[in-house]
Amino acid sequence: MGRTTTRRLLVARVARAVGLLALAFVILWFPAAAPNPYILSAAVMVLNYAVLATSWNFVGGFTGYISLGHGALAGLGGYATGLLITKAGFSSFVALATAALVVAALAVPLGFAALRARGASFVIVSIALVLILLLVFQGWASLTGGSRGLVVPRPFPDLLRPEHHEVFYFLFAALLGLVLLSWWLVDRSRFGLGLKAIREDEDKAESLGIPTFAYKLVVFVVSALFTALAGGLYALWFGDLDPVFQFSILSGSYVVLMSLLGGVRHLFGPLLGAVVVGVALEYFKVAYGDTPLHLVASGLLLGVVVMFMPDGVIPTVAGLARRFLHPPEASIREVSAAELEEARR
Amino acid sequence: MGRTRRLRWAGTALALSVALVVGGCGPDGDGGDGSSGSADDPIVIGISLPLTGDFAEPGKGVERGYRAWAKIVNEKGGLLGRKVELKILDDQSSADRVVSDYEQLIGRDGVDLVFGPFSSRLVIPAARVAEEYGMLFVEPAGAAPEVFEQGFKNLFYAAPAVADDHYNHLADYILSLPEDERPKTAAYAAMDDPFAQGTAYGLKEKLEQGGIKTVVDEVYPPNTTNFSSIAAKIAASKADIVVGGTQYQDGVNLIVALQQLDYQPKLAAFSTAPTNPEFAKALGGKTEGIVAPTGYTQTAPYPSNKEFVEKYREQYGTEPEEDEANAYTTGQVVAAAVEAVGCAEQGECQQKLVDWLREHEVETVVGPLSWDEAGRPQGAHMIQQWVDGKIQIVLPDEAAETEFTYPKPAW
Amino acid sequence: MSSGLLLQSIVLGVLLGGLYALLAAGLTLYFGIMRVVMIAHSAFLILAAYLAWYLHVQAGIDPMLSLVLTVPLFFIAGVAMQRLLLARLRPETRTMMSVLVTFAIALLIEGLLSYLFTGTQRRINLAYGAASLELFGARIAVVKLIAFGLAAAALGALYLLLAKTRFGWALRATMQHAEAARLVGIETDKVAAYGFGIGLATAAVGGTALALDSTIYPSLHWHWIGPLMAIIVVGGLGSIPGAAVAAMLLGLAESMLQIPFGTTWAQTVFYIVLFATLAFRPQGFFGGRLAQRF
Repeated sequence: MGRTTTRRLLVARVARAVGLLALAFVILWFPAAAPNPYILSAAVMVLNYAVLATSWNFVGGFTGYISLGHGALAGLGGYATGLLITKAGFSSFVALATAALVVAALAVPLGFAALRARGASFVIVSIALVLILLLVFQGWASLTGGSRGLVVPRPFPDLLRPEHHEVFYFLFAALLGLVLLSWWLVDRSRFGLGLKAIREDEDKAESLGIPTFAYKLVVFVVSALFTALAGGLYALWFGDLDPVFQFSILSGSYVVLMSLLGGVRHLFGPLLGAVVVGVALEYFKVAYGDTPLHLVASGLLLGVVVMFMPDGVIPTVAGLARRFLHPPEASIREVSAAELEEARR
Repeated sequence: MGRTRRLRWAGTALALSVALVVGGCGPDGDGGDGSSGSADDPIVIGISLPLTGDFAEPGKGVERGYRAWAKIVNEKGGLLGRKVELKILDDQSSADRVVSDYEQLIGRDGVDLVFGPFSSRLVIPAARVAEEYGMLFVEPAGAAPEVFEQGFKNLFYAAPAVADDHYNHLADYILSLPEDERPKTAAYAAMDDPFAQGTAYGLKEKLEQGGIKTVVDEVYPPNTTNFSSIAAKIAASKADIVVGGTQYQDGVNLIVALQQLDYQPKLAAFSTAPTNPEFAKALGGKTEGIVAPTGYTQTAPYPSNKEFVEKYREQYGTEPEEDEANAYTTGQVVAAAVEAVGCAEQGECQQKLVDWLREHEVETVVGPLSWDEAGRPQGAHMIQQWVDGKIQIVLPDEAAETEFTYPKPAW
Repeated sequence: MSSGLLLQSIVLGVLLGGLYALLAAGLTLYFGIMRVVMIAHSAFLILAAYLAWYLHVQAGIDPMLSLVLTVPLFFIAGVAMQRLLLARLRPETRTMMSVLVTFAIALLIEGLLSYLFTGTQRRINLAYGAASLELFGARIAVVKLIAFGLAAAALGALYLLLAKTRFGWALRATMQHAEAARLVGIETDKVAAYGFGIGLATAAVGGTALALDSTIYPSLHWHWIGPLMAIIVVGGLGSIPGAAVAAMLLGLAESMLQIPFGTTWAQTVFYIVLFATLAFRPQGFFGGRLAQRF
């Protein structure tokens, strides 16, 4: 390793530390600066999206399996939390932790069935999961409240609404920190390396001796655990669960859009995507409240991302910046099999 | 590796800058500091209504009622000498949106008062937002029992009776029939919605106690469009009477499906749908004999009702129906409290309004209203029936416009 | 269960199965041609239904006449979609990415429909809407029979096209082995694009049939895409006869299960059979070599 490289690494490390500190500062400072409780509630929503997208990225980013069914896992987490409180008499946060573990346990057989299928079948299964859970939770009214929905008791009943939002803002921020940290650790581990091998070429990874199925299953369960935590926390914050919103393909697709937009190969990609899409969604609600234009905008954005920058904004922007700053750089790049194939044509 | 590092850094920086932008320029508005309450400022009333989606038809009715109320009040010089101004958002019949709407109205726009949305399913989440901001919450359409079991302290239902009691007069009538004319069997189909199901099950409970056998009991989710199998079951059961716990479109669909099977019950009772102005057109006029409960009649003798019907007709060219009347009633209830207490703004004023309503009776277009601790009104509903191509009050006898037709003619 | 009710639900099931069969045929056709999962198929179905409704309300045109407009329109849209979007995806990730692209199109259609017509439920009010006739002792609405007739005719036409024409032969060759088809001189790109157009045209016919007897609203397509995807997996991805048979059986099963279990639970049959198929026979029941690889 040459001296310049070492220096560049040092600079990069310092820059990263400064960046991280600044990010943490912005997140912690925001509630004090929010002009009104509505903005704060929108920020809670954005953080919720960020946790969901980062959790999704355990599967989508590492293994390349695009799941449209993560909305179902979040919905299960929410309902499990609500039901444990109302039917089993658990206290709010014990119910949240238990619910996440229950969903993680459920994710084992779910993943077992879904991850056997590749490609088209996997996507179809993930969509089917959302749809069947919607039917079950609508149909089993005696347990779940059916279409009337389930009211989740407030964990802090004495708080007025602005304070309630503030408490949950910090809870979601803490959960986001935890999920980001976990993703970073997996990314640096041998386990993460094996997962990325699956993403590039699953058959080759298998022939190299990587237990691909076990790896996929483990990372799916981890993803489900965090997704369920986010869903449960949302249930405690929002208070009303309706099957149509808890088990919606649309919310699952927002999460995919956010991750792809930000870039699935990067720690902060889904967070970035969640901030952009989440803010845009809230903005559309406020500015065009009476119209469903947010659907049109989401559709257009998703189409553009998939067609023109399937690797996300970060790589696209960084690629442009690099070409601008250091024109001919002959370094070893992270290249996917697909890109090589493309280049060869 | 260098690339990934730099990319991560870029990501952080991007996220940071986006967050800064968001923090720096939230959507503008007059902020949460609310109204100063000066005499020139209008009193702004925040409302979210289902103007599109599952509840669009009744939702628009409620909107007409609110607008009629605002117009009549402003013509008389407003409330406390201030004009009233309605700020109405569309919640698309979704519980998710209704929360976000009231959050915006109260938290961001700082409205002075709020009125309730339509349908029990949306009232509960909306009421929680209002409750947690300490706002008075008078609502025109949350009749289901659940609404009053949430422990809300600021909620009042501005109509004569809760859902379970809507069919009381009809139940009394049926059970008073001589043995040989009384129906033996009944079929029920209800939307899985607190209000719609509440009306049907309220009647079901009373008829079962009276010995009328339930032969079909179906519950369907709100977005159901295919009613052929439910209709097939009802038709095959040959039940003497059919009761639908319906909103609007589902009621129309269910009736069409029953007519397609040529099922001819002795009595057909459906909530909400039959009182809607679009109902007869949607069924191609085949409405004869259909029964519905209502909390309102245009011919009611209460003084404010005459004014309401007259002005409403002037404004819209049609007669007001139940949804319009309930919305108008909501306005009357809040107005009475505001005039008595002498304030209309966020903060302590709201608790005073709540306290006043707990203690007092209010004169409205549906009669004098008073409430119990949970906000339940104390009264019953009338029964209407489609007779000779128009919907008329048939029960109770003292309010009847025409004779109750039983068994009903073929549809 | 009385025998009258049983008969009634069997007939309803067959009528419903016919519509499922037509739509699933289109969906599985796309997969056969390009290995794409076309999430927007049911959104186009609802779009066609809205067009039929709109023409009826605005111009008083009978819904069936709207086919003259929607079928060619959808064929062109299908060709354009294949040429401009799906053919440009990287082949390695095409299956996954096609899901997202078509998902985006579905969102666009849903958003535009709700923007133009609001989310309110709509229903065509036909003079013969409540008319019915007696058939084998079951009472069948005339509109349901017409809808079934439309679906059956379209499916029959599709079958003839694929089995009896030169184009059909080229299309089947492309589905089975695109490389080999190219070698024997078939212009596979063109054939694939036309195939896509034909698939989308089935949605136009299906939408008209749907509009005859059902309430429609913009987000209704989510209720269709699930059952349709289950049908094509159960029938074997890429197999049109498989899709048709699976559609009939599942439509019948749904209709009959509605009697004891109600509408909500009856719908779960699609997903239960889907999961069972993937667990025990991942290639589906009629899928050949093609389906095994996906």
